[in-house]
Amino acid sequence: MNAALVTVILGLGLAVTVVRRRSAAIALVAAQSLVLSGGAFTLAAGRSSQFLVASIVLATKAVVLPALLAALGRRTPEPRLVAAARGPLVRLAIAGAVALMVSAAMPRLGLSSAHTEHVSVALVLVGIAIVATRRPALHQLIGLIVAENGLSLLAVSVPGGLSWVIELGALLDLVLVVTVAAAFVQRIHTELGTGDTELLRGLRG
Amino acid sequence: MAELAPILVALVVGLPVVGALLAATARTARQADVLASAVAVVTAVAALVLAATALTRGGSPPLAGRWYLIDGAGGVFLAVSAAVGLASVLLSPSYLRTAGRSWLSATASHRWYYVALFAFWASLLAVPIAGNLAVAWLIVEATTATSALLVAFTGRRDALEAGWKYLVLTTLGLSIALLGIVVLAIGQANLHVHGVHALDWRLLHADAGSLPHGLALIAFVLVLAGLATKVGWAPVHNWLPDAHSEAPAPVSAMLSAALLPNVLLVAWRVRDALQPAVGARAASAVFVGFGLASILVAIPFLWQSLPWKRLLAYSSLEHMGVIALGVGFGSPLAIAGVVLHVAGHALAKALGFYASSPLLRIDDSLTRRAPDGIARESPPTAAAMGVSLLVLAGLPPSPLFVSELLILLGGVSAGYAAISAIAVVALALGFLGLLHALVEGVVGEPGSGRARARRRGEGVIAGLTGGVIAASIGLAAAGLALPGSVLVATLMRGLG
Repeated sequence: MNAALVTVILGLGLAVTVVRRRSAAIALVAAQSLVLSGGAFTLAAGRSSQFLVASIVLATKAVVLPALLAALGRRTPEPRLVAAARGPLVRLAIAGAVALMVSAAMPRLGLSSAHTEHVSVALVLVGIAIVATRRPALHQLIGLIVAENGLSLLAVSVPGGLSWVIELGALLDLVLVVTVAAAFVQRIHTELGTGDTELLRGLRG
Repeated sequence: MAELAPILVALVVGLPVVGALLAATARTARQADVLASAVAVVTAVAALVLAATALTRGGSPPLAGRWYLIDGAGGVFLAVSAAVGLASVLLSPSYLRTAGRSWLSATASHRWYYVALFAFWASLLAVPIAGNLAVAWLIVEATTATSALLVAFTGRRDALEAGWKYLVLTTLGLSIALLGIVVLAIGQANLHVHGVHALDWRLLHADAGSLPHGLALIAFVLVLAGLATKVGWAPVHNWLPDAHSEAPAPVSAMLSAALLPNVLLVAWRVRDALQPAVGARAASAVFVGFGLASILVAIPFLWQSLPWKRLLAYSSLEHMGVIALGVGFGSPLAIAGVVLHVAGHALAKALGFYASSPLLRIDDSLTRRAPDGIARESPPTAAAMGVSLLVLAGLPPSPLFVSELLILLGGVSAGYAAISAIAVVALALGFLGLLHALVEGVVGEPGSGRARARRRGEGVIAGLTGGVIAASIGLAAAGLALPGSVLVATLMRGLG
């Protein structure tokens, strides 16, 4: 995939770590998924059908999941912005450090582009960092999707393409997980009046 | 019988799906109970016949098709999942009658409980027979979505927290595992092996010798680290005590006795498949590390006064550690111990979780505090708790005594004498911790003036306790015959 597109995908992932509003985070992750599927379509031209199926799967994901998240956001309005445990610059610094550390320390995975390898793994880690540092359940869900986009970037870059069975299965699994997570977010909101997971801290020991 | 394998495989995976659909269309709670029980019996029979077919093939190659592979290990894990799933479905009506509040309205919650339970069971039964790493991963991920709903079934704040934590942490863990799988796919693609079947267990094993060592090692570590989150190995076990203690009792039994070992089987197959590329010592070291860490982290909790289901959850952490040690040691004695341990742990742990239903009917505050003096108030419930604890602690003639002995001797024979010695001390401390829980919680003085009264479900739990005692003695006797058996010889052959 074009190195500039790959960099844009990383940039959008890093931007998700900074924004406070859920709608902005959903828009960013939707844009990231669209750029990813666009990049996959450029790979598909003149190559095996696996690439075409992967591109269609990614395009579907780019439309379905943000739509689901947006609907969820509308059904669970927050009375006020949930204060983050760490400020936006600290979060960006953490995510940026993760990305740089991956570039410096990660061994080669066998793709022709080291840049794609680094960005893919960095995005998985950035997704994990979003889950760890953000309190709203919806933001944590978006972190899971950012990590998943990192995996998709690596998957579409496999020489010959990853099997459509795996691509489709992974999409179905992701939709299932996001649907269940959406049900949780809604229930948590009903129970607490907010999606702030910090208030779910009763279990210890 | 082997020629019927494809049909049996289809039935084992398809029947629970039929059960879910039937439950969804049930008009009353009673109808849902009856339909679920009937489908569960047929499903378990099909799964047990398939498991028996795989286990009675002697030294013949495993049953294999385009999408499935059922060897001796798969047969044992499939049989365990079938038995525990059947018992959980049959005990669900009793749980649902007294469950109190739930996420949904009373009738809807009954239906959707069974839909999620059957979906969860279908994926549990599919994991040990999946013939492909990527397919196994997809099924394991599906177990997360279905079981997270069940963990939070009561809709209480603590249950929501446990379900959310379980969903998020295990999904992240499985993302790491998928990263490792994609790395393997890159390795296979560079060897010009493409498509989904490039990740078939046997093809991976056959090609592993040609994979670059560094790439195979990265993939192995990523897949194992990711699966560790789902097995609940320390230090990535945070979700386990919460999910097991908040889930409905029949679901807790399935989580502990079937889900954790099944994911561990996937990890075991990954080791078998990649060992030629990674090296036997490195592959074993990862299992031994997770195993020892899990045992050592669990032991202090077994000494604390914990609510009953939370205590059982930490015991699961300990036992998944023991099984990991056995797989890591990898000698014939240790592998014999692993097979026996999976079956014995499932029996005792399922009984322990099923006993929590009548226990919480005695006093529902026992969800938040340790039990006390249960023998005075409900002898059948106390007997179930006592048998569960004694079998889990490994008191002879518990099958877990035999299995732990085999695993530790297997460790010594494989050159892990120091690790085995540390494990002996830790397991002895765990044994004492569980005895302490038995004395304090079951046979001690009751802390409050609860009246002795015959309670619903005591007859069922008494019958189950008798069955577990008989099965445990049978397993222990069978375990003594396992070393040197054809089953262990085929397990040692692995995927080759």
